[in-house]
Amino acid sequence: MTIIEATGVSKAFRIPSVRRDTVREHMLGLLEPRRFEQLQVLDRISLHVNRGETLGIMGRNGSGKSTLLKILCGVYAPDSGQVTVRGPLTPILELGVGWNPELDAIDNVCLVGAVMGLTLPELRRRMDEILAFAELERFANLKLKHYSSGMASRLGYAVAFAAVREVLVLDEIFAVGDAGFKAKCEERFRQLHAAGHTIVLVSHVPHIIGHFCDRAILIDGAHTVVEGTGTAVAAAYVGMLTSPTVAES
Amino acid sequence: MTNVSAGTEIGPVPADRLRADADAAAGRARAGLVWTLIRTDFKVRYYGTVGGFVWALLKPLTMFVLLMGVFSFLFASEPNYKLNLIIGLFLWDFFAESTKVGLTSLHAKGFLLSKAKCPSWILVVTSISNAVITLAVFILIILVFLAGAGRMPTVEGMLMFVVYCVSFILIVMGFSLGSSVLFLRYRDLNQVWDVISQAGFFLAPIIYPLGILPERFHFYLFIWPPTAMIEFSRDVLVRGVIPTATAHVCLAGVVGISLGIGWLVFRRLAPRAAEFL
Repeated sequence: MTIIEATGVSKAFRIPSVRRDTVREHMLGLLEPRRFEQLQVLDRISLHVNRGETLGIMGRNGSGKSTLLKILCGVYAPDSGQVTVRGPLTPILELGVGWNPELDAIDNVCLVGAVMGLTLPELRRRMDEILAFAELERFANLKLKHYSSGMASRLGYAVAFAAVREVLVLDEIFAVGDAGFKAKCEERFRQLHAAGHTIVLVSHVPHIIGHFCDRAILIDGAHTVVEGTGTAVAAAYVGMLTSPTVAES
Repeated sequence: MTNVSAGTEIGPVPADRLRADADAAAGRARAGLVWTLIRTDFKVRYYGTVGGFVWALLKPLTMFVLLMGVFSFLFASEPNYKLNLIIGLFLWDFFAESTKVGLTSLHAKGFLLSKAKCPSWILVVTSISNAVITLAVFILIILVFLAGAGRMPTVEGMLMFVVYCVSFILIVMGFSLGSSVLFLRYRDLNQVWDVISQAGFFLAPIIYPLGILPERFHFYLFIWPPTAMIEFSRDVLVRGVIPTATAHVCLAGVVGISLGIGWLVFRRLAPRAAEFL
C-alpha cells in the first residue's frame, strides 16, 4: 500500500537581481524595478513510497533533494503537483532543531519532542529512555549552552528516534558522534525498518543508500534521472560525480 | 499501525476509528506543544522564578510612580487621576509588549518552521502568552489598587473589564497574525512599529485626561484601539458607568476587523513563510 505519493511536483524559487528585505529598501527602490530569475529546483517529479519501505534520495548539492523532502513534510508548498501522505510523519531535517540554549536537557526534550508530535505523557514516560540513548543522564539538568556540539547532536538523535510515528523522513544526519554512537544509531535505524516504519532518507553517502534503502532515486537538473535499488542508484551517483555524462546518458 | 501493545484488540479496526484515534492523538500532541511553548517561554524569560516575574511588573510600576509624581501636579483638579493613570499604563504596557513580541514571533522561532513541521499559528498565538500572564497580574494589581482607594468596582463592572481585556487580547492576536508573516518579508517592520507605538503612547489618553482635548477630536483618538480599551475600562472601573450599546458594537467591529484582516493576511502568506526565513 502506498503511504506517500507525489505526483508532478514542481517548485521554483524567484531569485531577484537585488534583494530587498525592508520597507525602506522597497520604498527607495520604487523607481528601480528588479529583474527576477526563475530557479527551477524541481520539475514535475513523481514518486511513491510503499508502507514499510525505505526510499533513498540522492543528488548533487543544490539538486533539490532537501526541497523535495520539505515538500513531502509540508514545510514548503509545491508550485504545482500533489503530495499525499497517508500516515503520521516525523521529519528530522536537522538534528537538535529548536534547541533553546537557556533551557536544560529535560525542557529541551519536552520542547523538541512536542514539536515532533509526542504528547506530554509520552514524553514523561520516555524521558529516561531518551536521556539514556543519548548517554546524557548525568547532564539532564545542565543548560544546553554548556553542552558540546556532539552532546547536543546525540540528544537530537535520541529525541528524534523516540518521536518516530509511522513515517520517518531524514535529511543527511548520519554523521554524528563517535564510532560507538554511530553504530547505535544505525542499529536503531535497522530496528525501525524491521518494525515496519516507512523511511525516506536523503544522503550523499553511497554506503548509506546502498545499505539501508530498498529503493532510491537520483535527482539531477530538477528531474529524477535514475530510479532503482539503493545499490544501483548509489553506483549511478558515484558514476555521475566521477563522470557527469554517464548519468545524463 | 506498526506497533501492537499489550491489550490492543486483535483483528481489523474500523478505518473511521483509526482516523478518530489519530485525530485525538494529534490534538493531544498539539495541546502539549502549546503548553510546552508557553511554559518554556516563561521559564526562559523569567528564569522560571517569581523573582524574575517581578521584573516584568517593575517597568510599568516605575513608570506609574514617575508619571504620577510629575503629572499629578499638572492634573491636580482631576480627582481620579491616579486610578486612571494606573489603568492606562498597565493596559498600554500589555499592548506595547505583546505587539512587539507578536510581530517578530515567526522570525524568532523560524527554525521550527523551516526545519520542522510546526503549525505556524501556534507559534504566533503562544508568543503573546507571557504578556497575557502579565496582564492577568496587572488586573489583580488594579483591583487591589481600587480596593485600597475605597473604589472597589461592582461585579458587573469587573466582568465588563474582563470582556474588554479579552477583546484587547483578540485585537493583539489579529495584529500579531498579520504582522508576523509580513515581518518575514519586511525586516524593518519592527522599527516602523516602534515609531508608531511610541507615537501611540501619546495618542492614547494615558497620561492626560481625554477631556482636555476638544470633543471633535475624540472620534479620531478612538480609532486607535488602546484608546477605546483604556477609556472603556476606566468607565466601568472608576467612573462606574457602562459604555453605550453603540460603543460596544464599535468595539466588536474593531475586534472583528483586526482578527479578520490578520487572519486573511496570515492565511495568504503563512504557507510560504518558511521560504522567507
